[in-house]
Amino acid sequence: MLGLVGGLVAAVALRRSGRLGGILLGLMVFVWALPPVVNGSVWKFLLGDAGLFNTMLHTVGLPSIPFLFDEHFALVSIALVNSWAIIPFNALVFRASILGIPDEIFEAAQIDGARPWQELRYVLLPAVRPTSLVLAVLTIVYAFRSFDFIYVMTYGGPGKATNTLPFLGYLQAFVRNDYGLGSSTAVLAAIFVLVLAIVYARSVRREELES
Amino acid sequence: MSAVAVSRVTETATATRRRPRNPRGRSGPVAIILQVLLFVMYGIPILWILLTSIKSSDEVIGTQASIIFTPTLDAYVRAFEGQDLWPALAQSLIISTSTMVLVLAVAIPCAYALARVGGRWVTIALALLIVLQMMPQTATVIPLFQIFGSWGLLDSTSGLVLADAALLTPFAIVLLRPFFRAVPIALEESASIDGAGIVRRFFSIVLPVARNGVATTATLVFLICWGEFLYAINFLLSPGTYPLSALLAQQVSAFGIDWPALMALSVITSIPILILFAATYRLLREGSRSAR
Repeated sequence: MLGLVGGLVAAVALRRSGRLGGILLGLMVFVWALPPVVNGSVWKFLLGDAGLFNTMLHTVGLPSIPFLFDEHFALVSIALVNSWAIIPFNALVFRASILGIPDEIFEAAQIDGARPWQELRYVLLPAVRPTSLVLAVLTIVYAFRSFDFIYVMTYGGPGKATNTLPFLGYLQAFVRNDYGLGSSTAVLAAIFVLVLAIVYARSVRREELES
Repeated sequence: MSAVAVSRVTETATATRRRPRNPRGRSGPVAIILQVLLFVMYGIPILWILLTSIKSSDEVIGTQASIIFTPTLDAYVRAFEGQDLWPALAQSLIISTSTMVLVLAVAIPCAYALARVGGRWVTIALALLIVLQMMPQTATVIPLFQIFGSWGLLDSTSGLVLADAALLTPFAIVLLRPFFRAVPIALEESASIDGAGIVRRFFSIVLPVARNGVATTATLVFLICWGEFLYAINFLLSPGTYPLSALLAQQVSAFGIDWPALMALSVITSIPILILFAATYRLLREGSRSAR
């Protein structure tokens, strides 16, 4: 969900993009195109015991935080990195849909004396609503099936803290060599995705019929 | 990277590209702060990969956050002298390229067909494709492992290519279909009046017009394949045949990580992506719309 909001914010920030914005968008899309293993590794490094974040905490006199070695922090860290990785994509989609809003609407709002945040609230947000719905489903599916970051950063640990359903199925099958158990977990995961996919497929079809 | 979603970008982009950017636009202070924040968020990890890869191992052990250090190409030298790198690089290239070719060979005709005919079965097929391309990869790795075992395809590159292609074909079809739908049917009709058959029409009219879509799809398939490691790690039993991504995944989940070496490997893994990215960034950003 954070990924969704972050994507929207980034898209709004990049709406009136000059040269700087163009470079920024390029950077973000490049990060998105990088192999997940690379992104996972660098975050494991940054969040490690002697990593950048803990060093910064030390310099301001705070104790270090076990980002990846504590049950609660590990899950939050994984979630944050996941949203970090999906934001560029969502920003790209939101940007496309914001660019699709006719200029006249913004001009009309300005003539009516709308302040920038009012413009945002009453013009921009309603216009991107259909997009956000679809992106919400996609982001949830993405987060649900996220595997790469967990594999690289915590391997499901510490304990069972970052075992997601798909990852649990994988562990059961290939680490504990219990294919039956692993398969049934995988089926459960697949059913969950199926439900979301149906929701998504319906919304896509409706859109196609309209156009 | 979800396919349906990418096709969504491309559809909207097709509709909007024509309009020039908001000309009176001037970034407000809030937007500038946000942009700086985003720069930090996405710049620092990249910067850190680069910085760490040119540190020596000793410097990383004490504090990993130092900015002042003597740069050394030690990690790169070790990486290039090691046994694993060149085979892994070759393996990555072979796997990604052949998967891309295989996927396109299957997906292009399928997408074209699904774009041109309608009806209930097409709707069902599309829904199935969407479901398929959303399936968690961990759910398919278990049955595939057993099937490949009985077919003797485990530990072989062709088996991995087959698995990757099966994984990405639904994605590619869903992504390609809107591009083929955007080819005006009138173009094909006039060609058929001139006496062109279906094969001729497809190769000399439809494919050239939809070439941007094909290029976008090819790029994305290549990118995803390049980063894919779950299939690679499980289907290739001997680490000597791992592609780069699997090598990286294997090293990062090990204990006592040699960070400079790992980051150097990350950089090496990312360079082909950077090249491909520089060549196709406009395609990825705007989706379709050639210089028609």
